[in-house]
Amino acid sequence: MSVQQRTLDCKDLHEYLKTLSATVLDRLYNHPATCLAVFRELPELSRLYIMRILFVDQAVPKAIMGSWVSPNSAKELEDIVKLLTELRLWQEVEMQGGLKGWLLNPTFRRNLKGALLGGGNEWSMKPPTDADPKARGIAILDEYAMGRWECVLHFMVGSHQHEVISSDALQILQHAGLMKKEPGENQLTITRDGFQFLLMDTSAQVWYFLLQYLDTATARGLDLIDCLGFLFQLSFSTLGQDYSTDSMSDGLQKFLQHLREFGLVYQRKRKDGRFYPTRLALDIASGPKKSMLNTMAATSLNQSSGYIVVETNYRVYAYTDSSLQVALIALFCELMYRFPNLVVGIITRESVRQALRSGITADQIVSFLRQHAHPECYKEPPVLPSTIADQIKLWAIERDRFVYKEGVLYNQFDSQADFEILKNYAQERGVLVWHTTHGRKMVVTKEGHEEVRKFWKRHSRNGSM
Amino acid sequence: MVNVTKGILVECDAAMKQLLLHLDETHALGNKFIVQDLDETHLFIAPEYLEVLQTRIDDLMDRISFPLAERETD
Repeated sequence: MSVQQRTLDCKDLHEYLKTLSATVLDRLYNHPATCLAVFRELPELSRLYIMRILFVDQAVPKAIMGSWVSPNSAKELEDIVKLLTELRLWQEVEMQGGLKGWLLNPTFRRNLKGALLGGGNEWSMKPPTDADPKARGIAILDEYAMGRWECVLHFMVGSHQHEVISSDALQILQHAGLMKKEPGENQLTITRDGFQFLLMDTSAQVWYFLLQYLDTATARGLDLIDCLGFLFQLSFSTLGQDYSTDSMSDGLQKFLQHLREFGLVYQRKRKDGRFYPTRLALDIASGPKKSMLNTMAATSLNQSSGYIVVETNYRVYAYTDSSLQVALIALFCELMYRFPNLVVGIITRESVRQALRSGITADQIVSFLRQHAHPECYKEPPVLPSTIADQIKLWAIERDRFVYKEGVLYNQFDSQADFEILKNYAQERGVLVWHTTHGRKMVVTKEGHEEVRKFWKRHSRNGSM
Repeated sequence: MVNVTKGILVECDAAMKQLLLHLDETHALGNKFIVQDLDETHLFIAPEYLEVLQTRIDDLMDRISFPLAERETD
């Protein structure tokens, strides 16, 4: 029916946590690293609130808390109250004298204190006692991480000259709906979501992928809490430092091997007893919002970032020798020439429509071109010629100049009063799609029709009595 | 009494609405398909014509677009 463009839903850390059940959340806060990661991601005002009540070992009346912000910011206060309640960081309690107050989640309080002040159980990962004779530098780690990650992406775009990924990774891709097996076919094919996934930036990809992984963690015999706790620990670790695997449980060891496959950690040998987290892992807890990876682009490894030049005549020059990047460009370009270090393509209406049909949005194409623009392009803004950006959007809009909505039309009302009553009823139910007072016409959704019809019957029967 | 009709609400710009009215009047889809002309930008159409209408519009768009970029013979 009305095919609305659906963009890939990439939750940030808090949105993800909200999807977890209360008991899981409570267990999760048993881990200082998790508490600190959650705390770190809170909006400024909520952090302030938590800091103010962290060392108050009792509930604080709502009225007092309300006075901490100016009346103009009442809306913000409402938001943080909602957020903190949903994350189960605090709960409403009845205080003496019937006052309502907020009480910080005791587990969270204890562990956040632990994380900030030290003491309690050791929560960060320990470096091994002896130095690694074959220590790895940051450059090597970066290279390794990107190599592994690109391997997954390569697999998705179907460039076959690369090694095949493990069955676990395959399962996750399928579970995430990024790839699917057509009935009667052996090969996996990429889905609409998959195309959108490819055009996201790396940290967002890793985060999305991990969320899907965690979804299936319980099914593969891993403990979700342990895994999440470990991921947060990882995100507080130091790049270039090696950590010991000695104290890790079997489940976590297994988890570590998976992370290794995707390039989140580096391990020379499985039985080495030590591992190095990579930038991909350090990025995790910050979710899709901000990332170190972007700063990484400027530094050593990603020479690939910034390789596309787009001219106003719709030509695209990509200075790259990576077949992955070529494949990405081919998603929305017609390729014309290919040289060892340069690919020339052209953006046409057909090629863009092809991309739109496979589920990529115009914004994604434009932001991809901007993100990967060649450093030379930055010297003379705009980075991407505005004609190109506009035209790509126009081609997209052209596809949905019409919005179709299935519905039921009500017209020929006897009186304005009848119309108003029915209209208001539908509006309250949220099923009213369109109406005009002028000709007394209204359209309700197909789903809402039955309800509205019943209401109307009741109403007209009463009216006739 | 109130009249109830099932169908599809079409929202589009005024120019496209005129095109639909034209298609309707000329029986271009084989028959009339507009149930009600609601306002400047809204029409209510019979559901069974949706698919043929969509392909029709797509064809039209293809016809009125022209290649923007010059290309050497390939």
